[in-house]
Amino acid sequence: MVPYCLLLALLLPVLSTPFIFILGKRSYKLAALLLVLVCLADLALFLSVSPTIISGVSNKYVESYLWIPVLHSSLTLFMDGVSLSMAVITLTLVMAATVFSIDYMHAKEGLAEYFALLTLLTVGLVGVFITSNLMLFYFCWEMMLVPAYFIIGHWGYRDAYRAAFKFFIFTHAGAVFVLLGIGAIFLVTGSLDIFQAQSALLSVDEELVKWILISFTIGFAVKMAIVPVHMWLPDAHSEAPAPMSALLSGVIISAGAYAILRISLETVFPALMATEFASNFLHGMTIFGLLSAFFGSLISLVENDIKRIIAYSSIAHMGYVLFGLSMFPFREALTGAILHLVTHAVSKGLLFLTAGAVMKQLEIRDIREMGGLAGQMPITAISSATAALSIAGIPPFACFISEFIMFTGAFKAIGMDGFYLAPTALMLVATVLSLAYSLRLFSYVFLGQPKHEKIMDVPLMMKISMLFLAATVIFLGIWPTQVIHLILSAIPA
Amino acid sequence: MITIADVLSPIAIFIFSSLLTIILCKFTEKMKAKGRVLIALWFLVIFSAAICAVWNLALKYHASSPTCPLLSITLSGNEFGIFSSAFLVDSVSVYLTIIFTFTAVIVTFYALLCVNNSDGNAGRYYAMMLFLTGCVIGTAFAGDFLTLFIFWEITAACSSFLLIYGRTPESIHATLKYLVMIIVASAFIIYALSIIYAISGTLNFWAVRQILATMQDKRLLEIAFLFMAAGYSIEAAIVPFHVWLPDAYTAAPASSSAFLSALVDQASYYVLLRVLLYILTPPTVLPWVLMFAIISALTMVIGNLLALAEINVKRLISYVCIADVGYNLVAITSATELGIMGNLYFFLVGGITTALAFMLVGIFNSMGLETLEDFSGVGTRMPLTSLAMLLAVLSFAGVPPLAGFIAKYMVFTSALKGNLAWLAVIGVLTSVIQTAYLLRLINYMYAKKPRNEIKIKEPKIKLIPVLILTFALIVLGLYPTMVLDLISPIINELQLIIT
Repeated sequence: MVPYCLLLALLLPVLSTPFIFILGKRSYKLAALLLVLVCLADLALFLSVSPTIISGVSNKYVESYLWIPVLHSSLTLFMDGVSLSMAVITLTLVMAATVFSIDYMHAKEGLAEYFALLTLLTVGLVGVFITSNLMLFYFCWEMMLVPAYFIIGHWGYRDAYRAAFKFFIFTHAGAVFVLLGIGAIFLVTGSLDIFQAQSALLSVDEELVKWILISFTIGFAVKMAIVPVHMWLPDAHSEAPAPMSALLSGVIISAGAYAILRISLETVFPALMATEFASNFLHGMTIFGLLSAFFGSLISLVENDIKRIIAYSSIAHMGYVLFGLSMFPFREALTGAILHLVTHAVSKGLLFLTAGAVMKQLEIRDIREMGGLAGQMPITAISSATAALSIAGIPPFACFISEFIMFTGAFKAIGMDGFYLAPTALMLVATVLSLAYSLRLFSYVFLGQPKHEKIMDVPLMMKISMLFLAATVIFLGIWPTQVIHLILSAIPA
Repeated sequence: MITIADVLSPIAIFIFSSLLTIILCKFTEKMKAKGRVLIALWFLVIFSAAICAVWNLALKYHASSPTCPLLSITLSGNEFGIFSSAFLVDSVSVYLTIIFTFTAVIVTFYALLCVNNSDGNAGRYYAMMLFLTGCVIGTAFAGDFLTLFIFWEITAACSSFLLIYGRTPESIHATLKYLVMIIVASAFIIYALSIIYAISGTLNFWAVRQILATMQDKRLLEIAFLFMAAGYSIEAAIVPFHVWLPDAYTAAPASSSAFLSALVDQASYYVLLRVLLYILTPPTVLPWVLMFAIISALTMVIGNLLALAEINVKRLISYVCIADVGYNLVAITSATELGIMGNLYFFLVGGITTALAFMLVGIFNSMGLETLEDFSGVGTRMPLTSLAMLLAVLSFAGVPPLAGFIAKYMVFTSALKGNLAWLAVIGVLTSVIQTAYLLRLINYMYAKKPRNEIKIKEPKIKLIPVLILTFALIVLGLYPTMVLDLISPIINELQLIIT
């Protein structure tokens, strides 16, 4: 293991940003290559920690540096099974998106800026998953905003800046609630470290902790795009360029779910565990999860815009995750939910990339005008089929495993808490809906009679990127043991 | 041991050099580029001397580690002399001197690049800037109400010279408005001072404090407090006395607005902080917290709402200044150590950010870009200037990793600590409004198509002070420790005062 490896992993993308920009001015391909190398180096650094996590005495690896002592804030980086899996999946998606961008964006201007912004976005994304200091967490949380705003706005479709504006304001409004929560935690515990705060909060007045919990959860739910604060998502996801949509749907909204797990549930919630409010809160989450799942799936079924279908499906899937997270006290369901973050990230990222590939070749976005592309774009079709089937929850693709574990967990939870009976039954109905819209999407676009002539499959780099993700989806579907093992190591039995 | 000479030297350097500047500028008026270089060198000498003086004072102060929270120094040597002017040295005033000197250097050099030297008034303009810097530092060091009054009223009155410099009809009108309000404010303050002198028999901060803290009959004090608060509120542009600020800052040249917002505005918040919290009426003496909490909520809401409908960018930034007053007030009303630290950090960050924004607007205005519509598409035409504007705006909005975030974090957290959770919630919500209108500006700059395809050449040399401040914003955001270490002695000092 490399000393200072987490710090290096955080600083590497920051420091490489200017180089990527300068290289990008000469040749955007070199910039993309450098970004991929940075991601690979980060990946290696993270994986070098994994033996410590799995076999070590403690289930997490921590590094701490002096930062702002006056505000009791130190630069604490840590890694446990959940962070590791999220960080790895983030880097995988960033790499896929970068490679995809080489051919997808080649006709666009200002690619040096594009790749530099993508690198900054990576800093924010990776940072969120590996820090246990709330101040640094907020830094990284907001670090995602500005690069994402410009990438969506500048290289997106149609009126993209409008969508980006909406995205920025919504998520920033959510973030200020998070900030209030962070301030409150600092005041009542005198610490900004989530692990110290967790034990310190146990002795704090419950009424206050309740408000902290609510404030955090609302803030994170906006990023996670839970109904009724989902309004930014369909616009932002559908107007963004395809690689950015993949990252938005794959990682950024997952970061919201991760934050709910890590901060709302693991840090603040234990202080309320014994109260009546605790179960009400979890049940509330279940209901909002259910709402999102149905809302997303139903709109997805009737939408005709290719990217909006996928965007609404993301809302539905975040609903599943929230449903899983709401069974926080039950280990299996929670594992399923976290695994679903990983599997959904890859599958949805892939689905967005294939949608981008189709839109690039056809230059239309209405699925009723498409058809029969399977013969013309075989590689895209195969990738899209993999992603769609995974989203639909069909074995042996990745999302099946996670949904399966989540529902087994839910059945166990019913035994303990009868409330979950109806939501679980309804959630099973929602998965059928997801099968319906995935198949509808795939069959409209790729099956039937070809409606367009002389359509070629996409260039090489896009193919590589899609096949890479498709392979990951299948791999995770067949052999998820390692990831499950990692996740379980982070959840106390 | 700190002597009176240590305290007076930075003030004196600025005030006397300002007189010499007028004479120097008379000589260099005819020389074109060479004259500018000469003045720049002269400024360099002045500021080096001033920085040495400030450095000396700061070192001596931090080496002495005084036990009394307010180290009072008088001309006569008698600590609580009735009529001898007293100077007060504590970590707040030392810190303020450092940041005022820093921002003054940058803004003065910006002014040097912007102002037309061959205009006969340029010399007076520079002199006034130096003079104001001296007076603002004097305000920070004032140790009794009379010294405070003298230095602060000179500052307020002399600011009008900077405001009126352009001599356009608007600026004359706005300056008149400003002067009328300032005169009313001075009258209020004088009236309050006479009452305080009547009840306590002294004007020295520390002596007044001791007497008021044990006073039983507070009716007269309440009247004095109201007048004093109203007077200083007018000068700090707190809603509902804010009307002069947008007019004045919009009509004034950009360098003036930058200077005033970075130094004079911050000093006005300092005066409020000092008078309300340290001297006159700590919340234990008079329960003013709720009143000021409501006023600060109003200031944040109204300042930000007015900006939401504004299309002139310079005016938009002046509304941000008003909102900033509100944020500073939040921290003052919380009356906590964290709040004071937040205030002091905000003085630096808010000052830098507003100055930066006004300087940038000055550059844009010199290209003829004034309204939001004009700003369409400048992002690609003036990349460096726009990037600096983007960072300034994000710092206003409190987006990390820029310095504005740390300041806002401390301010809002202090409100939570002061049991003013509702104020913190209003604060963050107005902060979202602020983000919305500032992002609208960004949206115009980057999202809209430029109106014409004429390539604009960026004035490289004017960008130097701009880039220094932009860099400072990033550094202060990523690593605030170096400044917070300067502020942190306050925690110990304030405990002696508030409780």
